[in-house]
Amino acid sequence: MLSSSYRVLVQAGIVLILLGLWEAAVFSGLADTRTLPPPSEIAIHIVALLGDQDVLYNLWITSAQVGLAFLIVAPVGVAIGLLLGEHEYIGRAFRPFFYFLAGVPKSVFLPVFILTFGIGFTQKVAFGIFQAIFVLVISAIAAVGSVSPTLIKVARSYGANRWQLYSQIFLPAMMPVVIEGMRLGMIFNITGVVFAEMYVARAGIGHMIATWGMSFQMPQLFAGIFLTAFLSIAVNEVLRWYERRVDKWRK
Amino acid sequence: MGRDSCEAPFISPATLRWLFLAVIVVVWELVPRLGLVPSVMLAPASEAMIAGFQDFGTFARALGITFGQLASALIFAYGIGALAGLLLGSVYFLRETLLPIVSSIYAVPLVIVYPLLTAWVGIGPESKVIFGALYGFFPMALSVAAGVQTVDRQYILAARSMGARTSQILFQIMLPASVPSILSGLRIGGAMTAIGVVVAEMMAATGGIGFLITQNRTMFNTAEVYFGIFLVLILTGLLDMFIRLMERCFTNWYPKET
Repeated sequence: MLSSSYRVLVQAGIVLILLGLWEAAVFSGLADTRTLPPPSEIAIHIVALLGDQDVLYNLWITSAQVGLAFLIVAPVGVAIGLLLGEHEYIGRAFRPFFYFLAGVPKSVFLPVFILTFGIGFTQKVAFGIFQAIFVLVISAIAAVGSVSPTLIKVARSYGANRWQLYSQIFLPAMMPVVIEGMRLGMIFNITGVVFAEMYVARAGIGHMIATWGMSFQMPQLFAGIFLTAFLSIAVNEVLRWYERRVDKWRK
Repeated sequence: MGRDSCEAPFISPATLRWLFLAVIVVVWELVPRLGLVPSVMLAPASEAMIAGFQDFGTFARALGITFGQLASALIFAYGIGALAGLLLGSVYFLRETLLPIVSSIYAVPLVIVYPLLTAWVGIGPESKVIFGALYGFFPMALSVAAGVQTVDRQYILAARSMGARTSQILFQIMLPASVPSILSGLRIGGAMTAIGVVVAEMMAATGGIGFLITQNRTMFNTAEVYFGIFLVLILTGLLDMFIRLMERCFTNWYPKET
């Protein structure tokens, strides 16, 4: 195994070499600046975007939609998963629905959300929830299975009622697996909201990216893509770090 | 758990499930008919089917276009994905440095790249094939890399000491031993490729089922929109069946533990 600091160094080197090749390709005339702006120009535009009130406002809208969707879907998804995983009868009746729907491409349902909720804030939040909920429910069902039966038996024999069993035994023991589900749900949530913004919207970073693309503003388009990619990777890495921490704390 | 949590239910879980499904279909049919929900939001199930079959020629042509793009995209997603996964998983240096980067990029909503593709190659079929392949590439590469990583080092050591060449180790040990992960890559990657192609068609296209859905949505032809969605579900269902079939063939070939 490479030491982690050495690995980061090598990774930074790889990224720098790729960017260097890209820059060189543009300057040697191999690639056209109009269709492929050099990284140096994109970097300048990223800084410019971060100072632009309009861009910051749209980023805020996207973050608010993603955040609100997550705040709604996290407890709801875990609650449904807990019920389906723990309750024998309800679980056997309704689990197949969720397994089936998790495998269905959810993006095609976007027009239904537009017909139902319009093209504003609510529709983006609803679509983010819809994209994320199935993976979350399924990971919560799996998390129920990971809870030690001895714990449940002990709690039962001490006379714990269903609510106590859920809140004090199941939920804490489910956390490590559920957090991974939340991370995956967050990826789907972000994808859903950004896709909905690119499809039809009046605001949001996805809307800006689509507009830049249609008007061939390549430097802005590249800067927007990189900015959104950085932010999504950052959110994912933070959740992954938290996942590892909870896992360690559990042991 | 179990029995004590539900004293003698009157109907079996499976019956309840089918009853629930039947209720949904009936509600779907009745709610727009009774005017409880504007028909622009929700077309009755029967109306969606009738609208679709009345215009079946258009839908069949669109489905043909999508199918062709999907097939081409799958070739690239599977081929390039498998090759990249094999390299990323088996070469020590790449596994330690590049693989984590690739798995981080997996978190990026790839839809944001689509405007770039349309600016470069236009809104024709090429952009759909590239975008679909890009969507399927990551799950395929990551699954194969994960599979190759789990191959028992003892096998490789044994083969090498018996004088096997690198290509022999790659194709006669690494690849067969990671078949289960490759199969899961085929399944997830296939589903993602289908999503990529349809999403690309929905955003900007001149044909295909996703394009038809978007076109009918802008004209508020709700029944046609629902029929289009129904067709996409059928298409992905068929793709899934096809991959499962491949899976069964592969599993027979996969060396069993003795």
